[in-house]
Amino acid sequence: MAIQRRVPMREQAPEERIKNFKSVPLGYSKEEAITEAKRCIQCKNPTCEPGCPVRMDIKDIIYEIAHENFEKAFLISKKDNAVPAMTGRVCPQEEQCEGVCILGKKGDPINIGKLFAFVADWARENGITEHLEIKESAKKVAIVGAGPAGITCAVDLRKMGYQVTIFEALHMAGGVLQYGIPPFRLPRDVVDYELAFLEEIGVDIQLNHIVGQNVDFSELRENYDAIYLATGAGAPKFLKIDGEKLKGVYSANEFLIRVNLMKAYKFPDWDTPIIYGDKVGVIGCGNVALDSARCAKRLGAKEVFILYRRTKACAPAREEEILHAMEEGIIFKEMVCPSRIIGNDDGWITGIGLIKTKFEGIDKAGRPRPVNIKNSEMEMDLDTLIIALGTTPNRLFLSNAPELDTYSWGGIKTDDSFETNLKGVFAGGDALTGGSTVIAAMGNGRDAAVAIQKSLNE
Amino acid sequence: MKHVITRKENLNSADYLIDVVAPEVARRFVPGSFCVLITIPEGERIPMSIQKAEDDKITFYIKKLGKTSRELDSWKVGDSLYKVIGPMGTPPPIRKYGNVVFASDLVCGHAENYAMCKELIKIDGNHVTSIQSFPTEVDVYPEKELCDTVADKFILATEDGSKGEKGHYLDIIKDLLEAGKVDQVFAGGAIPPLRDLSILTKKYGVPIYATVRQIMVDATGMCGSCRVFIDGEQKLACIDGPMFDGHKVDWEAAISRLAMFKNKEAEAMECYNEKMKGVK
Ligand SMILES: Cc1cc2nc3c(=O)[nH]c(=O)nc-3n(C[C@H](O)[C@H](O)[C@H](O)COP(=O)(O)OP(=O)(O)OC[C@H]3O[C@@H](n4cnc5c(N)ncnc54)[C@H](O)[C@@H]3O)c2cc1C
Ligand SMILES: Cc1cc2nc3c(=O)[nH]c(=O)nc-3n(C[C@H](O)[C@H](O)[C@H](O)COP(=O)(O)OP(=O)(O)OC[C@H]3O[C@@H](n4cnc5c(N)ncnc54)[C@H](O)[C@@H]3O)c2cc1C
Ligand code: FES
Repeated sequence: MAIQRRVPMREQAPEERIKNFKSVPLGYSKEEAITEAKRCIQCKNPTCEPGCPVRMDIKDIIYEIAHENFEKAFLISKKDNAVPAMTGRVCPQEEQCEGVCILGKKGDPINIGKLFAFVADWARENGITEHLEIKESAKKVAIVGAGPAGITCAVDLRKMGYQVTIFEALHMAGGVLQYGIPPFRLPRDVVDYELAFLEEIGVDIQLNHIVGQNVDFSELRENYDAIYLATGAGAPKFLKIDGEKLKGVYSANEFLIRVNLMKAYKFPDWDTPIIYGDKVGVIGCGNVALDSARCAKRLGAKEVFILYRRTKACAPAREEEILHAMEEGIIFKEMVCPSRIIGNDDGWITGIGLIKTKFEGIDKAGRPRPVNIKNSEMEMDLDTLIIALGTTPNRLFLSNAPELDTYSWGGIKTDDSFETNLKGVFAGGDALTGGSTVIAAMGNGRDAAVAIQKSLNE
Repeated sequence: MKHVITRKENLNSADYLIDVVAPEVARRFVPGSFCVLITIPEGERIPMSIQKAEDDKITFYIKKLGKTSRELDSWKVGDSLYKVIGPMGTPPPIRKYGNVVFASDLVCGHAENYAMCKELIKIDGNHVTSIQSFPTEVDVYPEKELCDTVADKFILATEDGSKGEKGHYLDIIKDLLEAGKVDQVFAGGAIPPLRDLSILTKKYGVPIYATVRQIMVDATGMCGSCRVFIDGEQKLACIDGPMFDGHKVDWEAAISRLAMFKNKEAEAMECYNEKMKGVK
């Protein structure tokens, strides 16, 4: 008889963790992992596996963990997933594999994410790596962007023997994993280790290369047999209301890049500064908003508010992160919409105007549609505002590739095999979807690798 | 890639120049473009205009302002920068304008002045005047670094008249505008005079491209920190600029936003000074 409740994850206490940027979950011990894995009933037709965008052999991995064959479990997971330690930590498992786990019907689903993170961490600590026999091909593939989509595609193509070069705009690889998601959710030693694997297997990563700016797209087209565009959706959206010029108003991207990529939380030992006030407001309630809010709290802000025009029950953020944020004292103000940002004569933000909202009907995505309630405006004091409304594809690349078919909002158009209107040019990840998940971007990367292989063999 | 410093010279007591090995940047250099420098792994990403590119090296004119620019001043030939990324930005086109004036003072003005005049003068029909103004004689750059070598006419000015003409570039351009001898103005340097120059040129109906210096983080269009407001529309200095139509820029916002990190910059400087106390 399977145990109904999952083995609880030990975590840093909320009072402690709001003072540091270290991982919130402390990870399973061997014994805990085995106990949790043993709850798996090894379904004949596992529902979890089709729920996974990279189609990991979840059942087999859990089986091996339950039998203490951690190395085997790791090697199986690595087969489909270039970066299991990262996805184990940031995937929305509750909507994917765990969401459809049979055990979830009567009790808790298996803690698949944490088990996968455990196995990958164990392999890292024990120096276990995948041994690959690569049959070299002379064909060359260029990948633009070193986020989850780009690195997954790179690894798969490299395993197939192609000469792969990734061009990355920033001075570190990883995309959102590096500059967006904070270290208390995704520790940087994990990121560094999993990215080092790429170079080990011979993927050439050219950092500081901005395709469309200091590298021409046409140059890539001349010099490579195929191209994969995985430029993400990095450009911030603003509210387009009065007061966005004010000092103390950040896009979530700026705030997170300062903190996570440039390590502003270590200022002045690290040079990049960040300013936050006592009262910080964050607009939005996705993962990006919560990450910003929790970073602000850790930097030392006294009160941090999530200002959201719906309720947290219909927020896009992961459930675990909403719970963590609440434990950390983030205050959720639901059903409010910003109308203007208020400032003083020195150009600093002092507050925000908010209009109350109510639900009326359903929007295109099937979520309740918030509408403003007339004459319900109120003001709230704030000294920092972080705007986390989502992002759009970076136009720097697109403006250098006018021949590429795109949607009006900047997303790249492809056919079913991820090929764009330009022969040999493929695309995937957030650059295509406008923003989704790490694992979905990785799934795209894998599918594109197969399509690229096919096109190179034609 | 090792970005080795191959030359370092003082321009005066407040500014210095360095040549750095950066073949990929040199190869794609465009007049008016800039780089992002990261001096050490723990360092900031700071924008710096490129003065020129020669072979595999590029030259920067750097003003000692805060922690990074001062620390870099203590480096020597043979030392290497952690990262040099560029060229960045979308400078205005080099084409026929007629009578062109490029004016600069202080930070990030003289480098583009040199870079752009050198190319503008090659276009038939352009007559290029370079104006460089400094507070006083000791601030003036050494002769070989000034733009008299690359412009049709060169005007050196000091605000106290201790060298060259007396006055700021504002005073000199005013006379030229008055005489009706200007078709296009370019300008870079401190922001308040750029605002004043924009107002002045507008009065005379002469177009101006002005460098809107803003705080940059990624410089690839992803953070929005460098946003400037052009006729009410939001643009990004790092990818759309940094030179914009000065008549349309919201200068008050630009001036205000540039000061956002002032207290933090002072704190960084204090910590650096403290650290350097024990070091000879
Ligand atoms: C703060 C934050 C938190 C998130 N939390 C989660 C989470 O918990 N779980 C989850 O599943 N998803 C999360 N997401 C979403 C997820 O990170 C993205 O869906 C995913 O990273 C998309 O991958 P990608 O490879 O398409 O793009 P990105 O990760 O955006 O990578 C694109 C890369 O391309 C580079 N690039 C862009 N333009 C160029 C160019 N012209 N030349 C060269 N390089 C270029 C960029 O610098 C970047 O490194 C979060 C996103 C953010 C911002
Ligand atoms: C497009 C552009 C071109 C530039 N070209 C030159 C140049 O050719 N020579 C030169 O000396 N300086 C140039 N600058 C300014 C230079 O980037 C700053 O002086 C430098 O960042 C200062 O760093 P610091 O640590 O020494 O001083 P800090 O103490 O950090 O700052 C001093 C002052 O520099 C400015 N500044 C600080 N950080 C940044 C940043 N991240 N981005 C932009 N400005 C900042 C602010 O006005 C600040 O008050 C340029 C700036 C821009 C935006
Ligand atoms: S510096 Fe980040 S958008 Fe320009």
